Amino acid sequence: MDGSCHSGGAGPDVTDYSAPRPRATTRDQPDGRQYGDGSGGQRQGDGPVRERWSGGPGEQRRGGEPANALPLHVACVMDGNGRWAQQRSLPRTAGHRAAETTVIDVIEAARTAGVGWLSLYAFSTENWSRPGAEVDYLLRLVRQVVRKHATLLLARGIRCRFLGVADPRIPPELARDFDDLTTLTADNRGMTLTVAFDHGGRRDIVEAARSLIRSGTPADEVTEQLFADHLPFPDTPDVDLVIRTSGEQRISNFMLWQVAYAEWVFPEVLWPDFRAPDFLACLHTYRCRDRRYGGVAPRTDGDPS
Amino acid sequence: MTTGNTGTADEAPLFGPESQFHTFFDDPRWALAMIRATVLEAAHPQIGAALLDNSTFVAHPWRRLRNTFLSMRRMFGADPAVREREAARLNRLHARMSGSDSRGRAYDAMDRATRAWVVATLFESAVTMCRLSGQPLDQDTMERMYAEYRQFLAALDGDAGELPDDLHDFWRYFDRVVEDELENTEAARVILYRLFDHLPAPALLDGAPTLWAAGRAVAGPLLGAITVASLPEPYRRRAGLPEMPGAPTLMQGAYLAAGLTRFLPAGWINAESIIEILSLAPDSDDPRARTVAALHARMKRASALIRLVTPLGGDADPGPGPAPSAGTGEGRRSADEFFRQVLDQTGDGHLDWPDLAAMARELSTRLDLDEPEETRLYDAFAAWWRELQAALDTDGDGRVSAAEYAAAVPSLAGPALIRVAEVLFDATDKDGSGTIDADEYRALFRTAFHRDLTATDGAYGRSVFVGEFLSFMSGRRTSAPYDPLLADA
Repeated sequence: MDGSCHSGGAGPDVTDYSAPRPRATTRDQPDGRQYGDGSGGQRQGDGPVRERWSGGPGEQRRGGEPANALPLHVACVMDGNGRWAQQRSLPRTAGHRAAETTVIDVIEAARTAGVGWLSLYAFSTENWSRPGAEVDYLLRLVRQVVRKHATLLLARGIRCRFLGVADPRIPPELARDFDDLTTLTADNRGMTLTVAFDHGGRRDIVEAARSLIRSGTPADEVTEQLFADHLPFPDTPDVDLVIRTSGEQRISNFMLWQVAYAEWVFPEVLWPDFRAPDFLACLHTYRCRDRRYGGVAPRTDGDPS
Repeated sequence: MTTGNTGTADEAPLFGPESQFHTFFDDPRWALAMIRATVLEAAHPQIGAALLDNSTFVAHPWRRLRNTFLSMRRMFGADPAVREREAARLNRLHARMSGSDSRGRAYDAMDRATRAWVVATLFESAVTMCRLSGQPLDQDTMERMYAEYRQFLAALDGDAGELPDDLHDFWRYFDRVVEDELENTEAARVILYRLFDHLPAPALLDGAPTLWAAGRAVAGPLLGAITVASLPEPYRRRAGLPEMPGAPTLMQGAYLAAGLTRFLPAGWINAESIIEILSLAPDSDDPRARTVAALHARMKRASALIRLVTPLGGDADPGPGPAPSAGTGEGRRSADEFFRQVLDQTGDGHLDWPDLAAMARELSTRLDLDEPEETRLYDAFAAWWRELQAALDTDGDGRVSAAEYAAAVPSLAGPALIRVAEVLFDATDKDGSGTIDADEYRALFRTAFHRDLTATDGAYGRSVFVGEFLSFMSGRRTSAPYDPLLADA
């Protein structure tokens, strides 16, 4: 296969281990995309950025070469921990514990591959309805993981931040660790890792609407761009690729605004079994997709003018 | 009580920049000596009771230190008019402090014998500090310094009759008070064993609570041990203070080391700049604040790292310290935080008249008020206290506990509080123009007004001022100008 795309883009089957490693050119993130003070302006328009990060003209036309460049922003919905544990007759919590390895593996893989933004869906606003013991376990586990890998993330130049984290049920110690990790890595310039914890896409949109109303913006002046500036972390670019493991095919209230044009892949593998090669295979699948954004001539993408 | 606890007066040839007092002004040994003098003062039952009731040194030690320092500088500066005015201010301030201690004995901050003891402890500690660091004063210098301190007392009290005329009699007087009058007071114990263990970070280090706590955990007990070892033996015995092996050596070593700093370049140990920098908040408009802000960011990251790599103790890490106030959101404090940081100025866990008096004191100090404005401000605060007491003191013990406050938060903004805001506006608006201009604003908040002005540009009018004060006091909003004024340590 050697870097080619068969039949115009891969289907759901992405366990394509022979896919080549996408060229790990470490790209510097374009300046001006990292900072947001929420006041608008720092979020560049969709057009130029997307063009810049889609495959260059030279890259697309070489036979079956990938159509797209690396995704700028990859998000993972980490699904299948419970099933993984059940298959092994283990308690569900064992699945969560096993997920830690995958998380670190995927972070490393994404960083090495040159992905600029990685988002992980760790805990949704709906997950609070799980059994209390499991929630408690998850909270403790997340705290351990954060503390255990803080120095690694710092050393790797990864900027970490946490999306959501609004519920009073979150223990203050955990919130403090989140804050600490955010503070500690705030100046990093490598990949930006956004961990969605206690996150709900609709809640973010409602919050943005509130913020917009509070700022007294006249209804006619509200544009998509302005609205997006009121979302949490307005410097976050649109998600290009969402990977949802375990074969589930749902959005589950995840970053609803940002996934508007995202490509989705649904590998069958359960999250604790998901590894760097699977991640790279998903990247490859993405690169073979025909991204249209509702238009008909996606090829103009790569022609910044 | 001890606001008048240092300083010297200069009538004629004794003083000015050549005074003995001035020589010690920037001396790091003086810091140790001041702690020692404060313990000796606090061990006096009258002073101890007054300190416990009225002083803000537990909850706001850095603000208190800065005020003492400024007052001291005025008292011993070259200008007699400034000194007279400061003495009058200190007298007014102390005249408002009287009451009774836990055993029902009355105290009065204007008591002449007691005030003489404050001056005596300062003089004796200065002499002792020189002895302990191996550079004793010669007889002439000592006598000259004694004259300076008597002069200081005279500036406050009119005459120095309560202190013996000559140095020879002074030592007998001092030993007699130590032997007969000093007690193991609560206030002395608080200074020796609680103050340094719980000392809140100054504004400069406020963003690095972990670093501060780590340093404090080491330095706190050391400072306590050093101070105990330097106290007069008869008092140590009577107060049942511990004799620890090595403590005298440690104490003498500390004094010696502090004394060695005299070989450092001049300017490195300038007490004024140290105090100013410590009380510099990163968001102030001082040019140095930018450097401080950068330093602050680094310290925040360092403490974040320390916290993250610290192994978790057991399965739970309760962390009784204040959680990051992010949880309260929207710049609001929790009722408990507000009670602790703003209302309970004396740090005794209760809201009582001395807490509000301390606020009035801080405000009138900042605004440099004279009579009758000062009394108007105090009266407004007193009326507010009666209002609070009527509304909040549900168990009728005469003071308001944190729980009582939390239960009745909404009723805080009564007419008397509005009255406080109006009187404060009048006091701040020195030229009576109806608006607060840049200079007047700076006098109160020690920073220029810029983004804080929500109303029409340039003018800070009465209604905006009253509104902001009320939202700080009753809405518990964090506020860029008021926080350094009343909430910071």
